[in-house]
This record gives sequence, structure tokens and C-alpha cells, in this order.
Amino acid sequence: MRIAAFLPEILRHLFKKPATVDYPFQKLEVPKDFRGTPFLHPELCIVCRACVRDCPAEAIDILTVNEADKKFKMVIHNDRCIHCAQCVESCPTAPKALEMDHLFEIAAFSRWDLKKEWEYVKAQVKPKAAAGTPSAEAKS
Amino acid sequence: MKFTVPIGPQHPALKEPISLRMTLEGEVIRDADIRLGYNHRGLEKLAEEKTWLQNIYVTERICGICSHSHATCYTQGVEKLMEIEPPKRGIYLRFLVAELERVHSHLLWLGVAGHEAGFDTFFMYTWRDREVVMDILEMVSGNRVHYAINTLGGVRRDIDDLQKKKILDSLDFLRRRSEFYFKIGANEPSFVARIAGVGRLSKEDALALCAVGPTARASDISQDVRKDDPYGMYAEVPFEVATATSCDVLGRVVVRVKELMQSYNIIEFLLKNLPDGPVAVRAPRRAKPNEVVSRYEAPRGENIHYIKSNGTDKPERLKVRAPTLANYPATVVMLRNGFIADIPLIFAAIDPCICCAERAVVLVDGRSGEEKIVLMSELRKQAHERWKKAPLKKDAVWPF
Ligand code: SF4
Ligand code: SF4
Repeated sequence: MRIAAFLPEILRHLFKKPATVDYPFQKLEVPKDFRGTPFLHPELCIVCRACVRDCPAEAIDILTVNEADKKFKMVIHNDRCIHCAQCVESCPTAPKALEMDHLFEIAAFSRWDLKKEWEYVKAQVKPKAAAGTPSAEAKS
Repeated sequence: MKFTVPIGPQHPALKEPISLRMTLEGEVIRDADIRLGYNHRGLEKLAEEKTWLQNIYVTERICGICSHSHATCYTQGVEKLMEIEPPKRGIYLRFLVAELERVHSHLLWLGVAGHEAGFDTFFMYTWRDREVVMDILEMVSGNRVHYAINTLGGVRRDIDDLQKKKILDSLDFLRRRSEFYFKIGANEPSFVARIAGVGRLSKEDALALCAVGPTARASDISQDVRKDDPYGMYAEVPFEVATATSCDVLGRVVVRVKELMQSYNIIEFLLKNLPDGPVAVRAPRRAKPNEVVSRYEAPRGENIHYIKSNGTDKPERLKVRAPTLANYPATVVMLRNGFIADIPLIFAAIDPCICCAERAVVLVDGRSGEEKIVLMSELRKQAHERWKKAPLKKDAVWPF
């Protein structure tokens, strides 16, 4: 037992740099697999609605703009999104039509500002891309 | 002596506001009453509306600190219902994250214990070191808090050699730091004197009141789901159940530091013996009608999920028993005949998931029946005042 066993450690820290960074002037780098916000590559989406079905927060809507022209609109409600990336995982196309970005500063003044929309024409189902799920591949 | 602990109709052991009612005589607590149910979120009902897959993310949000515990407990149960077996690599990765979570949770708790004992330097240092684990978790899973690494039939992400090396390197640093904290505990008489003999819970009481996790282990009950009813790959992993015999807050600190060391060993074992192969198998969307009870050793103790399926793609019933709830009856005993000054320390020592949300304590004067509401910060100040004046316990020693 000795009194002030912590003192040498405390003194050592007088000469160390702070452990925190000087945010917002300096920003931390996020790892390459960081789950930011989902976004769509409209030219790849085959409107299979797997993302809508599996999203736990019901944050994705796919609306039909014009059935005849195969025009659709996807809305991602980022105010509801919980950034789980399940939509990316469920998306069957290869390369994936949905992807996560690396942004982490996504605060906004209104929840409507967080809504993201894409209007696009349904992509052709390529036989190879449609069979992207493991079980389908195993069967063929 | 009468107390009621209302075990809520739904899932009461969440991050919730909680009311403690103390009956006092002078500075001594004569009776304690814990009131729950202020933060009912309807999660169990919500789970009945979501598919098996979506529910992983729902259960993950039961708690912020042991998010992986709930998600894994649920996933394990559902995998049993669906009769699928995740591949070995998936299991190893799943419990790698589980042990990393235990490390982060225990480091967090050590800091909180230091803070409640008036040792804020300790708090700052442990929380800084905890960032190392948080960074590993972010690197492995993509997020600091909600890792979302589980999926039905395995895990969602694999790790590569570079990440493996990074984790092992960080492990060295964490081991060094934890040993240092252990030494500090042994060498800092004021810290030991503050926590020794506080919040006593005898072995008999702990058994009778079904205490779980580190709270029970600090009362010399060698009880750990990982050992008693091994799930995942814990049957193959060599580790010891950490116990202490002092039955007080000091014992709870010792148990948690020892568990940190065990967790580092488990992480090292998992990384060094990581099998090759896929990380997940495909899960069906429906489960046959059945029911299952899934047990999991969370950082705070045994976590239980009861899941019932009815043949559809949604659960019929999900019941969650989080470890904090199991520890409330024991807390009442710990508090009784203690001092007001010890309330924050004793309460923090069970590592409740709700402490951060709770700021008001109602003090009832035992003689006049007068009630007043004080803030947790006020209480902490009173505690520090009191212990500044108290004589140093000369005979209190670190048990090693
Ligand atoms: S990240 Fe998760 S919550 Fe957000 S849109 Fe995708 S599935 Fe929904
Ligand atoms: S899962 Fe992919 S392809 Fe299917 S609708 Fe969603 S974004 Fe489009």
C-alpha cells in the first residue's frame, strides 16, 4: 500500500497530447466499412422490393409513377432509417443497387430535409444478376 | 419489512427512468422500494409485428450498451426454432464481438464505479482506453454501438488478416492498461476503503434473491451461463469464472477486472483459432410452430429470451428478461442498513442499464415521514462530503 499511487501516471499525462480531436476543425476518419446512409444507383434497381420488405424501420418506399413506362420512384426516409444496412444486404442485384455512404454528419433542421428521392426507369433483369442469391446459384 | 418489486407486464429492464424509494432513519436506509415502468416502449409487442429478420434490429435496440447481447440471445433462439446451424467461422466471429462488447461494458462500468466513489481521474482514464475497444468494434462491424453483425444463420461480415492483427495489437495495450488498473486498486488505500464493505450481499441472500452475473459472482457464487450451459463455441474455449468472496462493491470491482482479463484471453483464443469457411448460411423466412428459451451471459448477467413461433414469418411472442431486472431484489437488500451516501455506489455496482436516465431519488425521513426529492448530483456531493470526513478504514485491503 502506498498513498497516491496514481500520481506518476497523472504527471506523465501532463506531457501527452489530448486523447480527443479538435472537432469540428479536425475530423475523425471512419473505417472503410462504416455504415452511413443508404443511397440508390437508379440505373441498377430492378424494383424487386426486397429492400422495402426487409427494412426494419419501414424507411424505404417504392412508388409507381407510370406503370406503362416502367417508371418508379424510390423514397428513403432518412429520419426513420436506423443505418443497419439490411437493405443493402437484401438487394439481389450485382453490383448492388443500394449502397451505404460514409457520411456521419447528417443532422438537418427539418425531418423533410432528410428525405431522399430517385425517379428512374426499372432496370432490365439480367438473368445472371437476378440469380445473385446464394440458394438460387446453388440450384442452377 | 415489506417491499414490492413490480415485475412489469412487458420488458421492464430497459434503459428506463426508475424511482428508488428509501425509508431512512438518520443517515441509515431502513427500507428501499424500487419503482419501475417509466420507460415502457412496447418493444415486445412491436416484435410481434416484424419479421424474424427485422426483429434482430428491434432486439438490438433494447439496450445501447449490451445491444449485441440481446441480438445474439434472440438470434440463437430463432436459429434453434428454424433448425439451422451457423457455420463455425460465423459462430467464432459472433462471440468475438460478444467478448469485445463485454470488454467495453466492463471498462465503462469501472469508470462509473470510480466516478461514484469520487475517483474521477480513474473514470477519465478507463473511458479513454475504452475508445480503443469502440474503435475495434466500429472497424469490425461498421458502427460503434449497434453493431448489427448478427443475421439469422451466422454473421453479416467477415474479418481479414489486417483487422485480425489490429485487434491483437490493441489487445496488448488493453491488457497492459487493465493490469495497471488492477495494481492501482491494490495500491490506492482511499479507493479500497471507499468501496470495501459497502453494499453487502451475503452468499445466501444472493442465492435466495437470484442475483445474476458479476453481482452474484462477487458473492462467491460461481455462476456463468458460458460455463454452466455453454452456447456457441464456449464449450471449446478455455476460461475461468471469476469470483470474489468479499460480497461487497470491492468484490464487484475485482470480479469485473478479472473478467476483463478472461475476455482478453477468449478474444485471443478466438482470433488464433478462427476456422476458415463461410460466415453464414441461408435462413428460411418462416419457422415451424414451436417455442424456445435462449440463455446468454451478458456483461451484466444472464439474459433470457423466450420466443414462440406459429408457423408464420413473425414471432407469436417474444419475452425478454434482462439481467438488471434479476438484480433488483438483491439491490434492495444491499441498500438496506447502508448509508444514503452509498446509494449511488451500490446502485451503480449492479451496473443497471437505467442509471444514466435516473436523476431523482425520493428521501423519506423515517422519523417525520417527510419526503423530499434530491438530484443524483446532489446526492453524490453529499456522499463525497461524508467520506471526506470519515476516518480511513485501516483494515480494508485489496484481496490479493
Ligand atoms: S439502412 Fe436499414 S433502416 Fe435504413 S433504409 Fe436500409 S434497411 Fe432501412
Ligand atoms: S432490393 Fe435492390 S433491386 Fe430490389 S427494389 Fe430494392 S434497390 Fe431495387
